[in-house]
Amino acid sequence: MSSTEVDPVVSQQTAVEVAHEHEETDNRMFGFIIFLLSESVIFLSFFVGYIVYKTTTLDWLPAGVTGLELREPAINTVVLVSSSFVIYFAERYLHRENLWGFRAFWLLTMAMGSYFLYGQAVEWSSLEFGITDGLFGGTFYLLTGFHGLHVLTGVILQLIMLGRSFIPGNYDNGEFGVAATSLFWHFVDVIWIVLFLLIYIWQ
Amino acid sequence: MTNVLVDETSNNLNQPGEPESWRRFFTFSTDHKVIGIQYIVTAFFFFLVGGIFAMVIRGELITPEADLVDRTVYNAMFTLHGTVMLFLWTFPVLSGLANYLVPLMIGARDMAFPRLNAVAFWMVPVFGIVLMGSFLAPGGPSQAGWWAYPPVSLQNPSGALINGQFLWLLAVALSGVSSIMGAVNIVTTIVRMRAPGMTFFRMPIFVWAVMSAQIIQLFGLPALTAGAVMLLFDLTLGTAFFDPIKGGDPILFQHFFWFYSHPAVYVIILPIFGIFSELFPVYARKPLFGYKVVAISSLVIVALSAVVWVHHMFASGTPGWMRMLFMFSTMLISVPTGIKVFAWVATIWGGKIRLTSAMLFALGGLVMFVFAGITGIMLASAPMDIHVNNTYFVVGHFHYVIFGATVMGVYAALYHWFPKMTGRMYNEGLGQLHFVLTFIGANLNFFPMHPLGLEGMPRRVASYDPEFAFWNVIASIGAFLLGMSTLPFILNMVGSWVQGEKAPDNPWRAIGIEWLVSSPPTHENFEVLPIVVSDPYGYGKSDPLVSNADALEVAHEQH
Amino acid sequence: MKLRTGLILTAAAIVLAVISLWVGQQAYTWMPPQASAESILVDNLFSFLVTIGTFIFLGVFVAIAYAVLFQRAGKYDFSDGPHIEGNVTLEVVWTAIPFALVIWIAAYSFQIYDQMSILGPMEHVHMGMAEAAPMGSNEGDKPIEVLARQWTWEFRYPEQNINSTELHLPSNQRATLLLKSEDVIHGFFVPAFRVKQDVIPGEDIIFEFTPVREGKYRLRDSQYSGTYFAAMQTDVVVESPEAHRQWLAEAAAQPPMVAYNEAYADYTKASEKGSRAGWKTVPPAPPPLVNYSGSPLTQE
Repeated sequence: MSSTEVDPVVSQQTAVEVAHEHEETDNRMFGFIIFLLSESVIFLSFFVGYIVYKTTTLDWLPAGVTGLELREPAINTVVLVSSSFVIYFAERYLHRENLWGFRAFWLLTMAMGSYFLYGQAVEWSSLEFGITDGLFGGTFYLLTGFHGLHVLTGVILQLIMLGRSFIPGNYDNGEFGVAATSLFWHFVDVIWIVLFLLIYIWQ
Repeated sequence: MTNVLVDETSNNLNQPGEPESWRRFFTFSTDHKVIGIQYIVTAFFFFLVGGIFAMVIRGELITPEADLVDRTVYNAMFTLHGTVMLFLWTFPVLSGLANYLVPLMIGARDMAFPRLNAVAFWMVPVFGIVLMGSFLAPGGPSQAGWWAYPPVSLQNPSGALINGQFLWLLAVALSGVSSIMGAVNIVTTIVRMRAPGMTFFRMPIFVWAVMSAQIIQLFGLPALTAGAVMLLFDLTLGTAFFDPIKGGDPILFQHFFWFYSHPAVYVIILPIFGIFSELFPVYARKPLFGYKVVAISSLVIVALSAVVWVHHMFASGTPGWMRMLFMFSTMLISVPTGIKVFAWVATIWGGKIRLTSAMLFALGGLVMFVFAGITGIMLASAPMDIHVNNTYFVVGHFHYVIFGATVMGVYAALYHWFPKMTGRMYNEGLGQLHFVLTFIGANLNFFPMHPLGLEGMPRRVASYDPEFAFWNVIASIGAFLLGMSTLPFILNMVGSWVQGEKAPDNPWRAIGIEWLVSSPPTHENFEVLPIVVSDPYGYGKSDPLVSNADALEVAHEQH
Repeated sequence: MKLRTGLILTAAAIVLAVISLWVGQQAYTWMPPQASAESILVDNLFSFLVTIGTFIFLGVFVAIAYAVLFQRAGKYDFSDGPHIEGNVTLEVVWTAIPFALVIWIAAYSFQIYDQMSILGPMEHVHMGMAEAAPMGSNEGDKPIEVLARQWTWEFRYPEQNINSTELHLPSNQRATLLLKSEDVIHGFFVPAFRVKQDVIPGEDIIFEFTPVREGKYRLRDSQYSGTYFAAMQTDVVVESPEAHRQWLAEAAAQPPMVAYNEAYADYTKASEKGSRAGWKTVPPAPPPLVNYSGSPLTQE
C-alpha cells in the first residue's frame, strides 16, 4: 500500500478507538461526580452535628472565648472563592490549547490555595481554644480541619496536573485529570462557603 | 488479522485453548470475574471465622451461667461476630456476586474502573487482618458491640492509645472506603455501559437491585464515616462529641450510626431480592410477575430506607412524636417489600417447578424472609418494640433475615451460577443435603429466640436467669447443626471445582446474556458486544434475547 | 375470576382466619405475667399483630407449598410455563390492601402508645390521658430515683430518705421514676410490666407506669453496658399499699449496709485469685450502701 493512501481499516479502527476513549473519559467524569456527591454527605453530616450541638448545648463557647474573629477568615474566603474563577480561566486556556496560559493561571490557583492553608494555620495558632475545649472547640477544628485536608488534597492534585502538563501528548486522550481536579476545587469552595456561614457568620 | 476490539493485554494465556491459570486468583487481576470470585472466597473464609465466634457464643449460652469463657471474651465474641459477619462476609460476598454478574448481565466487557475494582477488593483482606489483629491489642478486641455505642466504646480500660476499639474503627473505616469505591464503580458501570438495546427496563432485576443497593451505600456510608471519625476523636484525642461528662451527646452518635446502618440492611437484602427475582423465573419456567413494578419497588425501598432509622431508638433518647413518625415510615416500607413477595409467589404459581439446590435455597430463603417480615412489622410498632427492643426477639428477627434470607439467598446464587463461574457442575445430592441441614439448623437456632425475647431475655448477655434455659439449649443445638451444615457445601464446592463434570454454556436453559457465552466466560466476556432486542424473562415465548447470539463467543479460545 | 376459584379462595381464607385468630389468642401465653396496666394494652396489641401476621404468613406459605407440591415440571418436560407477565388488577390489590393494613396497624399502635403514656426523655408533661392509671396516683410525691451504674441498680426514695437495691412499688398506683445513669447508657427493663427506657448519662428521665399485680418481677439492664452487663439485674416487688408503707417504715429504721453485688463479688474474687481469665475491664463500682436489699447484706 503506498504511503499516500489511507488504509480504510485503520481509519475505522481509529474512529472506534476515539469513540471508545471519549466514552471512557465520560465514564470517569460520571464516576468522579458520583464520588463527590457521596463525599459531600460526610460534610453534610458534620454540618448537621454542628447545628445540633450549637442549638442544644448549654455551654457552647469555652470559658474565656467570646467568639471568632471575622477579618482574616473573610480574607481567606475571598481568596479561596476567587481561586475558583482563576482555575476556571486556567481550564479555558487549556481548552484553547494555550499551555503556558493554562500553567500560569493553574499556578496562581495553587498559590491562592496555599495562601488559604497558610491563613488557616495562622488562625489556628492564634486561637485560645483547642480541639478538646468543649463541643465548640471540637466541631470547629473538626470542620475546618477536614476542609483544610481537602484543600491540601486539591493543591496536591493541582501540583500533579501541573507536572503532567509538561509530558508531551498528555492531553491526547482528553483533559479528564484537569477537569476533575477543577471540579474538586469548586466542590471544596462550596463546602467552605457553607462552613463559613455556619461557623463565622452564624455566631 | 488482529482484532482491535478485543483487549488481550492480560490473559495469562500461553497457548490458544489453554485455560486461564488458577494463580490469577492470587494476583492483582483487574478482570471483574476474577475479582468477583476473590471477593466470594475471601468472604466465605470470614463467614467461617464469624461462624466460629457464633459457636463460642452458643456454647456459652447452652447453660445459664457464664462458665465457658470470661465475660470479657464473650463480649468480644458477640462484637466481632456481628462485625465480621457484616463487614467481612455479607458486604464482600454481595460485592463479589455483583462484580461477577453485572458486566455479563448488561453485556459489558468489564466494570467501568477495573483497577479501582481490584484496589477495592484487596482492601478486604487488609482490614480483615486489622480486625483480627485487634485480638493482640492491649485490652483485647472491641467489646462494645458492633454498634460501638458511646460511652461504653470510649471506656478503654487498658488506657492504651492503639486499643481494640481503635483498630475496630480503623477496620470499619477501611471497609467504608472499599465500599464507596465499589459503589462508584458499579453505579457508573450500570448507568453507562449497558449493551446496545438494553434500556433500563430491559435490565435483569438483579442489576436493578444492585444499582439500588449501591445508591444507598453512596448516600448512607458517609454519615457513618462522620460518626466514626467523631467517635475516634473522642477515643484518641479526648474530644467531647459523644462523651456526656464533657457535655457531649451520646444519642447523636446513635443517629449518625443508624442513619447509615439501617439503610445498610437494605444494601444487604436488595441483592438477595434480585437473586430471588432471577432464580424463580428459571426454575418455574415463567416470566417474573410484574417486572416493571418489581424494578420500581427497589427504588421506592431506597427512598424509604433513608427515613426509618429511628426505629432502632424507640427505647432510647427520642421524644414521643419522633417515635410515632418513624413507626409510620417503617411500617410503610413493608408495602414495596410485600409487592416483591407477592410477585415471586405469582411467578412460581402455575409454573413448571424444578427443585434444584438453587431453587430449594431460594424457596427456603423466601419463606424465612416472610416470617422475618412479620416480626419486623411487630418491631415497627413502637409500643411493641418497647417491650422487645434489645431482647432476643430482635436477634431472632434479624437472623431470620440475615441468615434465613440472605445467607440462603447467597447459597442459592452460588449453586445457580457455579457452573458459569467455574465451568463445572456441582453435585446435586450434596446440595440438597446442604439445604436440609441448613434449613433445619437455621429454624432450630433462630426460632427459639422469639419466645426468649418475649419472655424478657436481653440480648448480648453472657449469662441469663435459669427460666430461659430450655429455648437456649434448642437454639444452641441448632447452631451446632448449622456449623456442621457448611461441610457438605465446602466439600461440594471444592470437589466439584476440581473435578466436577464440565458445564455447558447454559445448564439451566436460562434466559440471560451471561448464559449465551461459555462456562466460564472468556477473559473479555464477548467477541462483539451483544445487541439486546427483547425484554428479560421471556419464558413461554420464543423471542431471542439478543440479535447476535452466535457472534458473542470469542472464537479462538475453546474451554 | 371463575366462581369455583373464588369459592376455594374464600374457603381457604376462612380456614386461615380461624387458625390465625386461634394463634392470636395463644399469643397471650407467650408473654410474661401481666403485672402492669401497660402490659394489658401491649399484649392486646401483640395478639392483634400475631393474628394478622399468622394470616399473612400462612397465606403465602400455603400458596408456595401448593405450587411446590402440585406444580412441578414433569421429569422429561423441558418446555416453559405460560408466558404471564403480570396482572394490573392483582398489583393494585396487593398494593392497596397492605397499605390499608399498614394504616390500621399504625393507628392502633399509636393509640396504644398514647394510652400507655409512659413518658420518656424530653417530656415532662403528660401528652395524653394517662389511661393506664386506674386509681389515684401519688403525683405530688417526689419520683423514686433509679440510679444505674456499672453494674448495679440503686433506688432512692427521697420522701423517706431510703436507699434500696430492690425496687418496691405499691400496687394500683402510678409509679413515677427518675432515671439517672452515672456512667454509660443502661436500660431500665421490666418484662412483666412491658416497659423499657434507656437510662442516659447526662439526662434525667422521668418514666411512669402502673403496676397492678402483686408479686416479684425481674428488672434487667437492657442496654449493653460493658463486662458485667448480664449480671446487672435485680427484682421489683409490687405489694399492697399497706405492705408498701410498712416496708418503707422498716427500711427507714435500718442502718445502711453494703449490699451484695454480683459484678463486684465476681470481680473481687477473680482479682484475689491473681489471674483473671479475660482482658482488662472497667472495674465495677463498689456496691451501694443501702437500707434494704433483697439479697444478703453484709456489714460495712
